[in-house]
Amino acid sequence: MNSESREDMAINSIKLLAGNSHPDLAEQISKKLGIPLSKVGVYQYSNKETSVTIGESLRDEDVYIIQTGIGEQEINDFLMELLILIHACKIASARKITTVIPNFPYARQDKKDKSRAPITAKLVANLLQTAGADHVITMDLHASQIQGFFHIPVDNLYAEPSVLNYIRTKTDFDNAILVSPDAGGAKRVAALADKLDLNFALIHKERQKANEVSKMVLVGDVTNKSCLLVDDMADTCGTLVKACDTLMEHGAKEVIAIVTHGIFSGSAREKLRNSRLSRIVCTNTVPVDLDLPIADQIDISPTFAEAIRRLHNGESVSYLFTHAPV
Amino acid sequence: MPTNSIKLLAPDVHRGLAELVAKRLGLQLTSSKLKRDPTGEVSFSIGESVRDQDIFIITQIGSGVVNDRVLELLIMINASKTASARRITAIIPNFPYARQDRKDKSRAPITAKLMADMLTTAGCDHVITMDLHASQIQGFFDVPVDNLYAEPSVVRYIKENVNYMDSIIISPDAGGAKRAATLADRLDLNFALIHKERARANEVSRMVLVGDVTDKICIIVDDMADTCGTLAKAAEILLENRAKSVIAIVTHGVLSGRAIENINNSKLDRVVCTNTVPFEEKIKKCPKLAVIDISSVLAESIRRLHNGESISYLFKNYPL
Repeated sequence: MNSESREDMAINSIKLLAGNSHPDLAEQISKKLGIPLSKVGVYQYSNKETSVTIGESLRDEDVYIIQTGIGEQEINDFLMELLILIHACKIASARKITTVIPNFPYARQDKKDKSRAPITAKLVANLLQTAGADHVITMDLHASQIQGFFHIPVDNLYAEPSVLNYIRTKTDFDNAILVSPDAGGAKRVAALADKLDLNFALIHKERQKANEVSKMVLVGDVTNKSCLLVDDMADTCGTLVKACDTLMEHGAKEVIAIVTHGIFSGSAREKLRNSRLSRIVCTNTVPVDLDLPIADQIDISPTFAEAIRRLHNGESVSYLFTHAPV
Repeated sequence: MPTNSIKLLAPDVHRGLAELVAKRLGLQLTSSKLKRDPTGEVSFSIGESVRDQDIFIITQIGSGVVNDRVLELLIMINASKTASARRITAIIPNFPYARQDRKDKSRAPITAKLMADMLTTAGCDHVITMDLHASQIQGFFDVPVDNLYAEPSVVRYIKENVNYMDSIIISPDAGGAKRAATLADRLDLNFALIHKERARANEVSRMVLVGDVTDKICIIVDDMADTCGTLAKAAEILLENRAKSVIAIVTHGVLSGRAIENINNSKLDRVVCTNTVPFEEKIKKCPKLAVIDISSVLAESIRRLHNGESISYLFKNYPL
């Protein structure tokens, strides 16, 4: 029965839809797949409500909506756009809807840790499913467990293979040491250190005491090393810059920061400009206009393009957990 | 809504923790009968009315027969539901399948998520647990989850039983660095980290110390002790790096497989666990084992939950 119905099901096509959050990434994915973006209009009425119109048939197609979580002013607008796009595709009779969310919004609000806070990442998961999403592709979730917030499949891709390539080809890799800027990121950095056969160290921010400024403590030795400070995201960059200072004070030769999600909100740019970092590297999971001489970028659009191709063809995605496609 | 009462239910096996909680609350465990019929199926009945009452089901799920305990719990929840309980709270100090909490680079199921779905499907309205392997597991549920912390009890134990001014807190792996760092902060101590380098072809994996432990009493903290192989190796590494002595403090002392043997043969001076999992039999076989009783934390959370009071006091303090 299943076999028969599967055989009888018409072959369908990939349809790529882009919201307004990251048109550049959507274009690059489209180019790599050789599939033009479908015509979609996403506008805001004067009363700020979001309006979506789809300019071509999606009936029975395999739809991929590319929309990342970003923007100090627009993060909620982009989330609403995504939900409305999903719903629009649903009622336009799409066969399957996959949301491609390179930076998952509200990912840091993933637990009710010692407070009465909501688990907003869970709410976002519920909203996506309620809107009609059938599958999610994202990257470097702040916590892998967020996959468990969903009842639908979630492919959490990794920037790690791309980061490894960058480190091997563009850093003083033989003299490097991996550093985590906080205790929470120790596991990620330890895994990277293993793959590169390098040592790693850890910075621990001691809790602030009354009338004292919190201070950073280095665990490990970084003397004369090229420090690769690795994190999943760079937001206000205060911790990153302080971590860099701590490493330089402990005799590091240089400090390069490598992050997946380059949010750079608030006064991040100013802090980075005045910092002692020799380089700040991030992927393009979010649009970055870091106009600094120390800025560099890792392109992860090939990873997403390949994930979409494999997902559509029913192929395994796990190759991408250890390899960076060109 | 008329005032109702706390009713404490526990399975017939491993009632030790439930009895301690009941004593602390000045209550009796509600009479119930749980037995296995000849096919092995669970049969459960409640011996008194629970209509409109506030039900708390206290379980200890450890090693060995995890799946039996899980089915018993689900059946007890459903029994309370069909007996018209007003609210059913499952108290699961050691959440089963907690380590299967993500689909990390594989085609594995997220069984902790399945557990959450099964509990709510059975009729559970609230969950109280302790030291979840990942706090995010709270997000797997569509009902409220109170993740209590053993940390205040551990802090109290360290202050009363260890020469802690000479101590350093150790995380046995990179994943536990955050927990160790938080505890070190609470005690105003330093911390260090052990990192197990991945084994290469034809090589045994080795453990590397990050930090300095010279002349220190090392307190290894972890959320769970299973076979204790890593714990024993960690102790050796620390002593090789000139530590003075090593003790381990873990929340969930599952101690399965060769754990007792590993501890007895290890250089650990002491292994301290809470009673979130059944523990009594293991102490007899291993003189190095000690227990931290967390029943008062659970009792206080039940009282506060029933009375609609805030539980957050328990996140930082040991109940009086």
